[in-house]
Amino acid sequence: MSDATASGTTAKIRVRDLKKSFGSNEVLKGLDVDVAEGEVVCVIGPSGSGKSTFLRCLNKLEDITAGTVTVDGYDLTDPKVDLNAVRQHIGMVFQHFNLFPHMTALQNIMLAPVELKKLDKAAARAKGMELLKRVGLAEKADARPASLSGGQKQRVAIARALAMNPGIMLFDEATSALDPEMVGEVLQVIRDLAAEGMTMVVVTHEMGFAREVADRVIFMDAGVICEEGAPEAIFSHAEQPRLQDFLAKVL
Amino acid sequence: MVTKILNLYRLATKRGRAALGAVLTVLALFLGIAAASAAVMPAPAPASAPLASAVAPAVAHASAADVKGKTFSVATDTTFAPFEFRNGSGDLVGIDMDLLRAIAANQGFKVDIKSLGFDAALQALQSNQVQGVIAGMSITDKRKLIFDFSDPYFDSGIQMAVAKSNNDVKTYSDLKGKSVAVKRGSEGETFANSIKAKYGFTVKALADSATMYDDVKAGNSVAVFDDYPVLAYGVSQNNGLKIVTPKERGSSYGFAVNKGQNADLLTAFDKGLANLKASGEYQKILDKYLAAPETAKQTSFFQLLANSFPALMKGLGMTLLATALSLVIALVLGIVFGFFKVGESRILRIIASIYVEIFRGTPLLVQAFFFYFGLPQLTGQPLNVLSAGVITLSLNAGAYMTEIVRGGIQSVDPGQLEASRSLGLGYVTSMRRVVVPQAIKIMTPSFINQFVITLKDTSLLAVIGFAELTYQGQQIYAANFRTGETLLIVAAIYFIVIFILTQLSNVLDRKFNK
Ligand SMILES: Nc1ncnc2c1ncn2[C@@H]1O[C@H](COP(=O)(O)OP(=O)(O)O)[C@@H](O)[C@H]1O
Ligand SMILES: [Mg+2]
Repeated sequence: MSDATASGTTAKIRVRDLKKSFGSNEVLKGLDVDVAEGEVVCVIGPSGSGKSTFLRCLNKLEDITAGTVTVDGYDLTDPKVDLNAVRQHIGMVFQHFNLFPHMTALQNIMLAPVELKKLDKAAARAKGMELLKRVGLAEKADARPASLSGGQKQRVAIARALAMNPGIMLFDEATSALDPEMVGEVLQVIRDLAAEGMTMVVVTHEMGFAREVADRVIFMDAGVICEEGAPEAIFSHAEQPRLQDFLAKVL
Repeated sequence: MVTKILNLYRLATKRGRAALGAVLTVLALFLGIAAASAAVMPAPAPASAPLASAVAPAVAHASAADVKGKTFSVATDTTFAPFEFRNGSGDLVGIDMDLLRAIAANQGFKVDIKSLGFDAALQALQSNQVQGVIAGMSITDKRKLIFDFSDPYFDSGIQMAVAKSNNDVKTYSDLKGKSVAVKRGSEGETFANSIKAKYGFTVKALADSATMYDDVKAGNSVAVFDDYPVLAYGVSQNNGLKIVTPKERGSSYGFAVNKGQNADLLTAFDKGLANLKASGEYQKILDKYLAAPETAKQTSFFQLLANSFPALMKGLGMTLLATALSLVIALVLGIVFGFFKVGESRILRIIASIYVEIFRGTPLLVQAFFFYFGLPQLTGQPLNVLSAGVITLSLNAGAYMTEIVRGGIQSVDPGQLEASRSLGLGYVTSMRRVVVPQAIKIMTPSFINQFVITLKDTSLLAVIGFAELTYQGQQIYAANFRTGETLLIVAAIYFIVIFILTQLSNVLDRKFNK
């Protein structure tokens, strides 16, 4: 596999022989993945196959056992690399939102820009309001997370992840904890981001959505990438029996 | 790591600061009350002043020059009336006290009297916390091995007393199969042990006279053996007993210093004693307490309350002072070690765990003894009773606070720290802005709980002679023998103070941690 993408630029994210073990349990068994600038990669696979662990290695929320993860040219396994600086360029959205319950929606969004001295308070507030508007929640600026619906919480969480103007967004099953009627509003926000050209790695169980927004789909099983390719190829022309099995169950 | 913690502590979030503020406000309030009660306390009356001025000039020529102007710490029993006890206004009086003060005045030195209890006084002397002990102590061969004694200043003797209503026990022979109470380490104990086989009774050693009398009144023991002046004084104060046997030939009391040390103090004591005997002052002091001890009138509960209130408030002030100081230190210890426990460094985690296990795994009482008696023996550096008490309580409460802090931080969803770290915020900032404010909210009820426990635990410091509320109560019933009523008052004071403070803490908690 070449280190350059089709367009000739270096990959935004480059993963080489990534291995991750929890104790003696090897969860990732040597992954190689490239994500190009502006590319939307969806990761699918059965529960427990290592999708979340893979995603969490991309911003080093998990220690990496072996292999390399390079983001924007910075090797995360290099101890000299300032992880906090790299993480500012990678937004992450969690299955259970992980909003800060003791802050309002706006404060959740303003926290990082203000603490990291990227913006002064007034500018951060303006930026926060703009982001809230973008996810359709301007009127909830002063609401605490506890008073928001699941869909609203996840949209605030996305706005928070965007506050540092990241070049990359990671989504870990952003809609699986939601009631069905709220899935759409969150997917719409992600869809908009894709349309704007954001580089994204999206772990999802929404096969229709993956098919619609993904430039490429990765199917993981038991810690390895079983199959990857254009959505059409994965969903309509699955070759591996394990992928066929999986799709038969979820579709 | 330490700087990280300090940062965290200093830079609490707005809400965190509010909650922390709540805790500190309550502490400040504690300090305020302690200070206020300290302010209303009457200054202790210099009980020996008149005596001293009456005696000093006449015999000043025969003084030992090298003790002049020096101050000596002398330990005594808490209550061994009429040798040492507290009068109605909470001042230490008695034969030993008057004698010692008169001798000091006569010889031109000063004494700092520490009322510790008999066992504790001897330990304090051995650990050089004090230079001398005067506590109605018999001069025995065994004690002469470790102490040097003055000339005898009193010849004692043992008598037996039984409950006033008991008409069955009149002689030692009536004790067969029964239990008698004695004071631990006293002459009475030695005497009782010397005849127990012959008369077939068992001996139960207790810590002080008041407890012995209560044991007899409660029917646990049938008789007490005690020094005759002590028994006579107790009976005159309505201790509920009567004396049934004649005085046994007993030993003599002496003032003690550590063997081979403070010889000049001992010489001065002997000279002063001789001077007082010559001037007649010695006999006056004995007569004051022995010839015709004025019989106490049985006063009402409310008179008891009124009489004991100033001393008890003095004690409450000390209780609150020790509590407040200990809690502030414990809070700091708890935060430091709590963060050690949740941190990434294995070594710091182990250090914090060892600290917690040691202080949770040993009794507070043992810790108090260790810091007051044990540590000075190891280091040679005496520690005053407030410092020893506060160190004990802080380290003990700090261990529990550590667990509260650890538990509070660990009960915050790990996803919170991850979300914050994923935004590019560092560990310290994430803890400070995201985890700690949520943890404080969770910890507040446990903090309030610990603070009540620590307040109550101060009562254990009575055993090392720290003059807090319980100690003052003990002093009062030791002199008036009204144990039940006095303890009821003491308990009521604790209850009221704790009730008010918990209500207040809860209000603050609701206000700042909603
Ligand atoms: N912190 C952890 N400690 C130990 N095992 C873990 C941890 N996180 C995940 N695992 C294990 O790693 C495997 C993959 O988990 P995960 O990446 O969450 O899978 P997925 O997201 O595909 O469902 C599972 O077997 C899971 O039990
Ligand atoms: Mg997962």
